[in-house]
Amino acid sequence: MKFLPLVWASLWRNRAESALTLLALSVAFALFGTMLTLNAAYQRSIDDARMDRLIVACAFDCGVIPLGYREPLARIAGVTAVGAELWLGGWQQDERHPIVVTLVDEGLRSAWPELPMSAADWRALDVAPAGIFLSRSAAARRNVRIGDTLTVNTLPGSRADGSSAWPFTVLGFIPDPPGWGPSTGGPASDMIVGNLRYSQNAGRPDERDDATSLRVAVDRPEHARAVCREIEARFTNATPALYCVPAREDAQELADANINMRQISLGIGAAGLFMILFLCANGIAESVRERLPEFGVLKAVGYRDGRIAVLVLLEAAVPTLLAALVGTALALGVSVLVARLALKGVINMPEMQASPAAFGWALAAALVIALLSAVTPLYRLWRSDVAAVIAGRR
Amino acid sequence: MSELRQIAAVCLLGISGLRDRYATALVVVVGMACVVGVLTSMLSVTAGLARAYLRPEDATRAVVWRGGARFDQARGLQPDAIATILDAPGIARGTDGTPLADAEFLMWLPPVVGFADGSLQLRGVGPAGFALRPGLRMVAGRPLGAGKRELLVGVGAARKFGLGVGSEVRLRDGAWPIVGVFSCGGDTMESYLVGDALTVMAARRRAGFAQVIAQLVDDRAYPEFQRWLTENPALSVYVERKTDYDQRAFGIKTAFFTRMAYLIGAIMALGAMFGVVKIMYGSLRARAREIGTLRAIGFGATPVVVSVLAEAALLAVIGALLGAATAWLIFDGRDLWVWGAFRLRVSPSLWALGLVWALVTSILGGLFPALRAGRLPPVEALRVE
Repeated sequence: MKFLPLVWASLWRNRAESALTLLALSVAFALFGTMLTLNAAYQRSIDDARMDRLIVACAFDCGVIPLGYREPLARIAGVTAVGAELWLGGWQQDERHPIVVTLVDEGLRSAWPELPMSAADWRALDVAPAGIFLSRSAAARRNVRIGDTLTVNTLPGSRADGSSAWPFTVLGFIPDPPGWGPSTGGPASDMIVGNLRYSQNAGRPDERDDATSLRVAVDRPEHARAVCREIEARFTNATPALYCVPAREDAQELADANINMRQISLGIGAAGLFMILFLCANGIAESVRERLPEFGVLKAVGYRDGRIAVLVLLEAAVPTLLAALVGTALALGVSVLVARLALKGVINMPEMQASPAAFGWALAAALVIALLSAVTPLYRLWRSDVAAVIAGRR
Repeated sequence: MSELRQIAAVCLLGISGLRDRYATALVVVVGMACVVGVLTSMLSVTAGLARAYLRPEDATRAVVWRGGARFDQARGLQPDAIATILDAPGIARGTDGTPLADAEFLMWLPPVVGFADGSLQLRGVGPAGFALRPGLRMVAGRPLGAGKRELLVGVGAARKFGLGVGSEVRLRDGAWPIVGVFSCGGDTMESYLVGDALTVMAARRRAGFAQVIAQLVDDRAYPEFQRWLTENPALSVYVERKTDYDQRAFGIKTAFFTRMAYLIGAIMALGAMFGVVKIMYGSLRARAREIGTLRAIGFGATPVVVSVLAEAALLAVIGALLGAATAWLIFDGRDLWVWGAFRLRVSPSLWALGLVWALVTSILGGLFPALRAGRLPPVEALRVE
């Protein structure tokens, strides 16, 4: 503690330059924090996906799967539940406002229990097939309330009556589900769940028994791959043939496919830190050089090299740690901006949330930067001759 | 001494002193190198995709879709409609007199590496499909045999999925051999397997094409071509210029990444700018006596201001070149797969963008120290320790 007045005084020796260094460090840590948050979001998307949940889609010329596939799939050894989902894609006011409603059947309640809907929600959906539940984020984005009508406009002729408008009634809201979103357009939080019976009742007769994909629950995670192989083998000669993947492996592939955002985010974060390492090191070196007489006096009054090293290290660490805290807090705001950019594009991106680990990593990085910045000035200090320094000859 | 000569003299004096201030100069150079390196690396994705999607030959081409089904995997165009489309005015003719237009489709194959978007796709093309792509060259094997159950693979897909002549690909009716590997001048076509459209269609047991790609006689033929098709009561089609389709397909794929690149570039530039301000103030302190002396012997404030800005700009340019060169060495020509194969490209325009980005950042950062240097009274400057 007794070092603090000395450290504090040295930090504010040149207020303008200290403030500029702190600003530069904070910006770099904001970038680093954003990249860590992005990286954590991808990792969480993998962690949230379960190995004992399988995703089944058509293998060739991907289109839709007949709902009739549910029964033979349910009979396969190891399968505990089968559910179907159909993505009804369209737009609200115009094509710039795309919307996807995931129409689900009752089987999905057991096959995808991670979908955060209560028993009461399922009952409400059963009673009102034209109803929908929106995740809280999806509701906030669209500013809808319970009882509102939300219309999905599709290409002409998607309904049996020849119209293209699918009006839904908002029944309620559900928590944001984890993992990837229902389409390549947005994150999982943009989830809108409806009843598959609506499509069966109102859709074109030739499309009433279609599902976009099936979800299968298996009894044990270690059976997942074997059950997938069995599903693919049984439907090899069917039309359409099936492709199956455990949800966890799918999430892993999705995170690493295309542009590997996990690697990119770490690379950018590292570049940001490298950029400020030189600035920080230069600041400390300059400060030590200008204060050589002061350190000489400290040595003369009995400060040992270790205590002076602690003093210099603290002088380097205080601004970096402070900047790490400020920057990581700023990163939350930047992350929101990045998530908005993802929503406007089509890149698959998991939901970004504040990551406590990001704070930890930022603080660790701050300490490393402080340590590296102090190495050269300390070496110079250790080699300096006290008498020469006090006399101003060095 | 004229003001221009004064500017040149003070700038040279400042720059010659950089050797003594190499540590602070290095901070600006490294900072700018990081900013420009990250920016150009990220934008090399956009530049690479632009090269793959925005083809010069597309300026005189049109795409015809069925109704609202404007995507490559659609299958709504039936042979009778295609026959009518080929009668449309304005379509260029080949040497044999046949229309230079091809009905095509794209189909997904079972994922090789998973569900993610890196799945293998097969493009069914007709004879005119090859004529429409004059840049297509066989790099191994032979062309497709007429009506045979065999495939070609583009060099991009071959690299991504480890395919080559002799490899087999599982289709709906069994394994199909790959008989040739082709390149297509960096076109997205290199991302696909290619098969004879009618033969593949018979195997997939689903009829219908996604689109007709037509080579028009020239750009002026498009309005009449479009009017004839859209007003034809026998057809329900949507017509667009190939360049509009390219922009639709390309823009949507790169929008997020481009915005991310600029956002990150801006954040890094902000951090670097604070660094430049700090360093230039430090530099000003180090040069105070020199500046004071110059002002005392008659040099004006403008040459001093310009010299500080020139120093910041010079360091930024060195940093920018270093950053762009690093990005070029690491990423230029590197293969990537984003909805298809393409090569990252650190193009000359990206180098230029990096330079401008760094210059603007450094000049903004150097402005306040420069103005302060210009306003510094000579007597006060000479007293600086």
